[in-house]
Amino acid sequence: MNPTSGDNSLNRRQALRLLGVAGAGALAAACAGPGSGSGSGQSTTAAASTTGSVGGKISFAHWRGEDREVFDKIIKDFTAKHAGTSVRQDISPSQDYQRMALQQIKGGSSGDVFTAFRGAQFTDMSKAGIFVPFDGKPVVKNYKADFIEPGQSDGKQLGFPYQLVFNMPLCNADLLEKAGNDGSPPKDWDSYLGLLDKLKGLGVVALLFPGGSPADYNQLMHSMVMNNAPSDDMFTKIESGEYKCTDDWFITTLKQYQQLSAYFQPNATGTSAEAGQQMLATGKAAMMVTGSYYVTVVRKLGAKFPLNVLAPITVSADKVKYVGIHNTTFILGVNSAGKNQATAAAFVDYLSDPTVAGVYANGTAQHVTVENVDYTDPDLNALSPWLKRKTLLAPLFQFQNLDIRGAVQNAALEVVSGKSPEQAAEEAQRVVDQKRA
Amino acid sequence: MSSPAGTVRRSATSGTAADERRPLRSRRRLSRRVHWSLYLFPLPLLVPYAVFFAIPAIQSFQYAVTDWDGLSPTFNYVGFDNFRRIFTADDLFRNALFNNLEFMLVVLVLQTALSLVLALLLAKQSRAGIALRALFFFPTILSSVSVAFIWRFIYDPTIGLANTLLGDVGLHGLQGPFLGGPNAIIFVGLAQVWAHTGQLMVVYIAGLHQIPQDVKEAAIVDGANRWQRFRYITWSLIAPATAIVMAYTVLQSFRAFDLILGLDQIPPRSTMDILSTRIYTSFAGSEFGYATAESIVFMVIIAIVVWLQRRLVRMTQAGG
Repeated sequence: MNPTSGDNSLNRRQALRLLGVAGAGALAAACAGPGSGSGSGQSTTAAASTTGSVGGKISFAHWRGEDREVFDKIIKDFTAKHAGTSVRQDISPSQDYQRMALQQIKGGSSGDVFTAFRGAQFTDMSKAGIFVPFDGKPVVKNYKADFIEPGQSDGKQLGFPYQLVFNMPLCNADLLEKAGNDGSPPKDWDSYLGLLDKLKGLGVVALLFPGGSPADYNQLMHSMVMNNAPSDDMFTKIESGEYKCTDDWFITTLKQYQQLSAYFQPNATGTSAEAGQQMLATGKAAMMVTGSYYVTVVRKLGAKFPLNVLAPITVSADKVKYVGIHNTTFILGVNSAGKNQATAAAFVDYLSDPTVAGVYANGTAQHVTVENVDYTDPDLNALSPWLKRKTLLAPLFQFQNLDIRGAVQNAALEVVSGKSPEQAAEEAQRVVDQKRA
Repeated sequence: MSSPAGTVRRSATSGTAADERRPLRSRRRLSRRVHWSLYLFPLPLLVPYAVFFAIPAIQSFQYAVTDWDGLSPTFNYVGFDNFRRIFTADDLFRNALFNNLEFMLVVLVLQTALSLVLALLLAKQSRAGIALRALFFFPTILSSVSVAFIWRFIYDPTIGLANTLLGDVGLHGLQGPFLGGPNAIIFVGLAQVWAHTGQLMVVYIAGLHQIPQDVKEAAIVDGANRWQRFRYITWSLIAPATAIVMAYTVLQSFRAFDLILGLDQIPPRSTMDILSTRIYTSFAGSEFGYATAESIVFMVIIAIVVWLQRRLVRMTQAGG
């Protein structure tokens, strides 16, 4: 008998058949697709199990690498208070965090305590059901109610926006004083343009536009629409189709961008944020389109003058609804897939304590949404009057669709580049229509 | 008990009289029979290939006809609607395609020409030549993100090197916003050329060293001038190197994602948006089904461009 012809051997045809069957199986498995799951990821939030003993290891996932040292200090104090506890910071760059965080946190591999950006990421995370709600917990009272609304979904307090920033042009208060401004918001559009004229007369760039840094130049859009738009949810309505980029209020906004561009530095659409910071820090620019989050950077670059923020007022005095913009973000949440929710909740409680929040705020030169915090940092103190002024929650984050948001923002940049406001608005609306279809 | 190896050996050598009487085809079939366990050997490679490549690749065709957002447990089949949208109702995709083709042309022409010129100048094995090769190769070892940061500072119109130098030599008319202007994609292309020319120069140098010396000498004896020697000998005989350089450049042009990301953001401004950043934006915007359809179109476009480019190279080199 031929030893190769036994039961345990295959010829080529049989082997191909076997591979074919395996391939068909793989294809069938592939076609099972995303719907084959057991339904995890529904938009219901898991039942909270945040009570119990505090101890063991937790992970704190966030994107603020620059805050690592301050958090290390806070964590050290927290773990000293709760023996047998350890907190590991899992920090990703913000772009990576935007992209990857949801999957990682949902899997429970990291982020017992996690953070979310206000807007699309928070919406996606709340839909995925990864937040343990804080409703009924005493910690809610530590926060200023208005500021933590962006952490709510379907009437539940899913997370606490921790940071409070003012997304308005950052100013050299000395130069503004020379131009006759005492730090108060301008009364109307004409007085704002008058201020820019005086600043230009001082031989400095009146309003630096960092057109090479979208994260910064887009901040101007918040202030430009806050009083022009017919309602505070203007961008939600653009996305829903109720408002259009070709509406008068938006065209007016773009025309005002065109007017402002006369006060920008030459070749403004290419200027990087780093160049802008340098010019502001060295007194070559009076204001820079960005937000209060650059105070620390400008100080590190050697700025000795007092800093302030000042938004353009785009309407007449009788139509002013808001004098500035604020945003609350870095939304703290407890992971419903986390294995140590009691410790995670205790850590959020700890961060929400006014004394601890003060350590964070003064250590990072950022305001927080926690009430009764003692701001000892001189720059935070200088900006504190803005906590009481009527400011609008940064509206650009109302957008859920990146392309629609990009089209609206791009319209302003195109106008600064020289395109007519009407044409830029039409092109933006065309993209909005296509993305809504 | 027989080992698989032993089985194969015996099957090849066990020629009995009965075997010899079998028809040749039947004998061949018998000789091809191998022990089943031999088929387990490719599994360590086949299984990861199937799991991480074949199955996802098959799945991508399924996702492309759905409206799946990448997160939900359910989705709807939308037929070819995603493809219809790409071709008829997506200005952003069309804009990214044109930007990408413009970027590819700039990079393909400049990178191929520059790497060839540098290779011709530095092909000789001299100390200076080797040192210069190392110098030109240096940008290749930088990450794309580093390249992006370097060029962000060069292009910055306020404090950057480009405008400063242009101003210093009196060419104020050429100063501009560079990445902030309507031709931003060309300036991104120049950064790409700077980063990769050295690498492709090395490919060309290897190709030049393959050309037989006697062919060149015969041409000199025949009275061919320098240009004729290049046109009819060098250019024809470095065809394989040119094919590699151009195919690599084309693929690289379509995958310049990290360079754009370093120079701008996601989504990038419309003047810098290319197909890879467009697809990424769709993924990031939870349009998983649509992004997958865009990826399939992207793959087909690359295949067509590579095929056209190979035909073109073959035509120019055969036409010589």
